[in-house]
Amino acid sequence: MEELLQALVQGFLMGSAYGLLALGMGLVYGVSGIVNFSHGDFVSLGMYLCLAIYTALALDPYVSVIFTLPAMTILGALTYRYLIKPIAGRQLLMVIQLTLGVALLLQNGLMMAFGGQPTRVPSMLESKLFIVGDVIMRAPHLVAAGVSFTLAAALYVMLQSTDVGRSIRAVQQEPRAAALMGVDVGRVQVLTFAIGIGILAIAAALLLPGMPIQPNQGLRFTVITLLVFVLGGMTNFVAIMLGGIVIGVAEAIGTIYMTHTTGQLLPYLIFVAIMLFRPQGLVWRS
Amino acid sequence: MRPDFYRTLLSPWPWLVLTVGAVMPLLLPNYYLHILTVTLIYAALASAWNIVGGIAGQISLAHSLFVGAGAMLSSALLVKLGVNMWLGMLAAAAVSAVIGALVSFIDYRFRLGHLSFALITLAFAEMAEIYVIGTDFLGGASGLFLPRDTGDITQFQFGGGRGAYWVMLGMTALCILVNLAILTSPLGYNLRSMRDNENAAQAIGVGLLRNKTLAMTISAVLTSIIGTIYARYLTFADPYLLASPVLTIEIVLFATVGGLGSAIGPALGAFLLAPVGEILRGQLGDKLPGLHYFIYGLVVIGVILASPGGVWSFIKSLGRRRS
Amino acid sequence: MLEARGLTAGYDGVAILRDVNLSVGKGEIVGLLGANNAGKSTLINVFSGIVPAMAGQILLEGEDITHVSAPRRVEMGVVQVPEGRLVFPQMTVRENLLLGGFNATARPNRPRELDHVLSLFPRLGERLGQNAGTLSGGEQQMVAIGRGLMAGARVLMLDEPSLGLSPLFVQFIFEIIDKLHAAGMTILLVEQNLSLTLKHADRCYVLERGVVAVEGDAETVRNDPRTRAAYLGM
Repeated sequence: MEELLQALVQGFLMGSAYGLLALGMGLVYGVSGIVNFSHGDFVSLGMYLCLAIYTALALDPYVSVIFTLPAMTILGALTYRYLIKPIAGRQLLMVIQLTLGVALLLQNGLMMAFGGQPTRVPSMLESKLFIVGDVIMRAPHLVAAGVSFTLAAALYVMLQSTDVGRSIRAVQQEPRAAALMGVDVGRVQVLTFAIGIGILAIAAALLLPGMPIQPNQGLRFTVITLLVFVLGGMTNFVAIMLGGIVIGVAEAIGTIYMTHTTGQLLPYLIFVAIMLFRPQGLVWRS
Repeated sequence: MRPDFYRTLLSPWPWLVLTVGAVMPLLLPNYYLHILTVTLIYAALASAWNIVGGIAGQISLAHSLFVGAGAMLSSALLVKLGVNMWLGMLAAAAVSAVIGALVSFIDYRFRLGHLSFALITLAFAEMAEIYVIGTDFLGGASGLFLPRDTGDITQFQFGGGRGAYWVMLGMTALCILVNLAILTSPLGYNLRSMRDNENAAQAIGVGLLRNKTLAMTISAVLTSIIGTIYARYLTFADPYLLASPVLTIEIVLFATVGGLGSAIGPALGAFLLAPVGEILRGQLGDKLPGLHYFIYGLVVIGVILASPGGVWSFIKSLGRRRS
Repeated sequence: MLEARGLTAGYDGVAILRDVNLSVGKGEIVGLLGANNAGKSTLINVFSGIVPAMAGQILLEGEDITHVSAPRRVEMGVVQVPEGRLVFPQMTVRENLLLGGFNATARPNRPRELDHVLSLFPRLGERLGQNAGTLSGGEQQMVAIGRGLMAGARVLMLDEPSLGLSPLFVQFIFEIIDKLHAAGMTILLVEQNLSLTLKHADRCYVLERGVVAVEGDAETVRNDPRTRAAYLGM
């Protein structure tokens, strides 16, 4: 029983960070209709930027975000403007292949710069534990969940009640009318992609403490993000966060209860099962 | 529709290319022959994938599963149980066919959207890799070494370099031929109408389940057989190469860049990109780790930006402009 | 106020409009008539800057705006209410209207404009918190026109505002058009409904296969045999 509770709590905490990863993907998909397969490699990039800053200035990853956030946001904007935009509107698969090309660049750029050996970036909260009853929570996981939900809420409020947010939703719902109302659709697309990548700078710092990193880990993050994103019905914020928690919990239960192999299979099994019986994902409105 | 098929077969071009292809091993040094063989493997895989992903428009990411079945299962049967690899190839192809049919049934039964289908098939492929690596009979994480190739055809041995090359040349030609045959048949017509609009296709009497299953099964069987040949060629069945979803991603890359849905496009994409990847690896692989893939990434992006509709349609448009 | 001079335009290098000359004077209602595919929507999309001109000029109060970007044209007051209304379905009526006033020129005046729009369409006042996608066709048309007004339109281009509406709503929409006209708004009205347009417009143009076939006041257009021909596509 304690084990189950432990798994649920840990899964919930990690899952909320997965939800955050998928929010950026959902935002971009809603506005530009593209699925970015270099998503996870941008997470890697965020982590390695933290490593570089730690090596050079001995700054904690949580602090490094003040540098990595603007850097990644700008990089996201440039990527969309100069690589994706020229072929946006072509076959979805072609756009996906282009983002895979970007993934190759990022992954191997990191490989060249940092080598292929697994490393870690130390952080101040890394070994701090909170114990409530029989449940042990690692401090970085608590921070990750807290920041993820706060950021998700902030994004939601931004989309609902600011002019920029409304223009993003307008492009999502009716791009032609948005253009006729003076919304620069191209600029909104660049902006949302930049926001989507910027979020990853934060997510990278949240996931980093205690996690060994390697340049070729990107695809794993991309796949987790994709699972959560599709579970969340692609664009629904609440459902995406919920999807993140489902995948996080499945992963935690898999590692705690099962043998190594089946444990790794569990998130996929859960995903397939949910998608078969709720093809629309975890969205309640059709 | 059939006349198109025969006209293509009777035109001199395919035969010329095939003849040139067939004499290549007599001219090329081993290293380049190896590159060409690997290129043919990917050309065949991309063509086989095109039946589902291009003609039927269903982004299947499950194909590493079929390659993996063809490679790992036939190798395991041979190494662990001493089963002749020809039989192993057929057994693996049968397993792939069943899995392919199952995937199609699930797709049909649950009416999956494009993205859900892609993700569910990816989940299958991920699970398959985890399963293979966790199963001792299939070689586990360390893979399976095959006995030396002595050139005994009854044992699925083709005598190394040249033999494997000719077998792959034949296999690639077969895959392209199957594509062409499907494109010029009622099946091809049905698949394309399903791709463009599933509901409309159903309304005019196209049986979704039957056509989807047929396309996926043909594709799975071809892919599985190529997997067996690939493992035999490498004399080492490596799950991290042959059962990895990364393999599917490469296949889809070649097919997409070459031109989805056409008979020749996917193979063309492989011929354009696979040698570049191999040569870069050969030249730069031991220099700075990551450099060759980095350059490869630049090439991929460059090619896509230069011909966003696929290389084949780009070439066709050049031809049209000239005439 | 708004003028097309020698305008040729189309899609993918194929000209749909050829050498079109058309002007809308300040405070005028000008009707743009023609059969389907005559090029009416293309023309107002060129005015909106969504479709580029291949040759010729677009002038706003004598100033050449041919190469001005679409968002900038909205700021300058050239606003289109698109065919099929295209409201933002999952945004509330209020949000739809606020988004209309998104451009930099209109943004400071939004509270005032909102009051104005709600006085024209009291019915929208009751539906402010409702998602626009759940409204009836007529109500959606009110949202679309309201949204255009919120954008600070000086020239309002209405593309088939009566399409798919009940006769009662059609009548109501034309009353609104008259009201706006009376208040001095410049209006370019694209319609298929010949008689209603001739009744309300000061002047009309009839497009036939991308060329202006007839132009003049209602009487001239009504009596010109080419009008009928353009409509029957002969």
